[in-house]
Amino acid sequence: MSLRRLKAVLIDLSGTLHIEDAAVPGAQEALARLRKAPVAIKFVTNTTKECKRSLFERLHGLNFDLQEQEMFTSLSLDTSDPNAVVIGLAPEHFNYQTLNTAFRLILDGAPLIAIHKARYYKKKDGLALGPGPFVTGLEYATDTRATVVGKPEKDFFLEALRDLDCSPEEAVMIGDDARDDVGGAQSAGMLGILVKTGKYRAGDESKINPPPHLTCDSFPDGVNYILEHLLGS
Amino acid sequence: MADVCGLECLQGVKGVILDMCGVLYDSGEGGGTAIPGSVEALKRLTDSGLPLRFCTNETQNTRECFVCKLRVMGFNIRVEHVFSPAPAARAIMTERGLRPHLLVHPDLVAEFSGMDCNSPNCVVIGDAADQFSYKNLNQAFQVLIGLEQPVLLSLGQGRYYKETDGLKLDVGVFMKALEYACDVKAEVVGKPSTEFFRTVLRDMHLEPHQVMLKHTHPYLYTQVVMVGDDLVNDVGGAQRCGMKGLQVRTGKYRYVISD
Repeated sequence: MSLRRLKAVLIDLSGTLHIEDAAVPGAQEALARLRKAPVAIKFVTNTTKECKRSLFERLHGLNFDLQEQEMFTSLSLDTSDPNAVVIGLAPEHFNYQTLNTAFRLILDGAPLIAIHKARYYKKKDGLALGPGPFVTGLEYATDTRATVVGKPEKDFFLEALRDLDCSPEEAVMIGDDARDDVGGAQSAGMLGILVKTGKYRAGDESKINPPPHLTCDSFPDGVNYILEHLLGS
Repeated sequence: MADVCGLECLQGVKGVILDMCGVLYDSGEGGGTAIPGSVEALKRLTDSGLPLRFCTNETQNTRECFVCKLRVMGFNIRVEHVFSPAPAARAIMTERGLRPHLLVHPDLVAEFSGMDCNSPNCVVIGDAADQFSYKNLNQAFQVLIGLEQPVLLSLGQGRYYKETDGLKLDVGVFMKALEYACDVKAEVVGKPSTEFFRTVLRDMHLEPHQVMLKHTHPYLYTQVVMVGDDLVNDVGGAQRCGMKGLQVRTGKYRYVISD
């Protein structure tokens, strides 16, 4: 594969730059080095538990140098349709009663929309179920397919790159979720770098085809690779 | 091999297996209500002398409690004629040295009493109804994802069932959720597992069908019929085992008009 002229770097947030309220070691400094390179940077996330502002404030509090307008979330693609069942990451709502309510609405014809289908995410004290399993369960119950608007949908990545004036072939995605971050980005035509922090588990790199362009220990290593290998003329 | 069509195929029927929820009764408040006409119909079937067995994927109760509830509704049923997933799962786990983490209805836990549940090496999921909270599902997920060789036993795989106040999600939905979360395939104990139906047939000492020559051609004559409301788990499962399935339009049956 010929060396691509890199124009943009998409960076996942939860699990890649930080895990809840702790930064990945060295990530702030790595981000600062990446900013000196001639590339556009966007932060992409499926996080819907917190709104963009509070997520931004948390990252700022961890000394990450970023602007709110550099953040792209699935919520940006959300279309309000009161006749639809929309599922995001809201653990407190995934109880039997609300799931039954959603189930009956879908049987009556309401479309099922998933902000994303992450299987699980990393918390301080271990892994926790994401919305994906509940979306899958409802798909099975109703014999329908959900419309997914976030990662790993191709449109999500294309939309994130739209105002950066660059094609997917000129962009790279860094994330901790092999299927949703890296697999999704590569399906959209981008290069993918998988980091072994956050929700990463040994062997994840073999769960996607083609495998990640690079699998590395953490975000700083990913940045090193980009600066050394992807910015050549 | 030709199949005898129409009612002719039922002439040699020697035994009947009945699903319970959606056929005999609808579950709901106060334990449920008998479906109109079912008590009388079961009496007629029993009086006919045909061997009867009952297959249920009911996992909100032990078999004993469950049969008690049905007797109160007017059904005359013997516990030893009722086949449900929990005792079957217990037998499987004992045979394979499995220690379960249980995500089941609190009233079912007694079916597993005496089992070693320390350091679980498998997850058993049943119809836990309101116990299907995020917290409980997350706990089951964490056990599974932490196992080198995750084993997920699902007591049935139904999508939903009918209660008196509407349709409700069944165990299959949460089985699929855990399968997706952990990248594992559940082993289904209960309907529509062929092994489960074969256990019932062995108890009846009957083969599902018999092959007989008719005008020198071999034909299949059904010996055991399964009656159920669930096309996939009752009828489909029974027919895959070689029985004939009869679907009733009560319970979870939904009449779908195709375009």
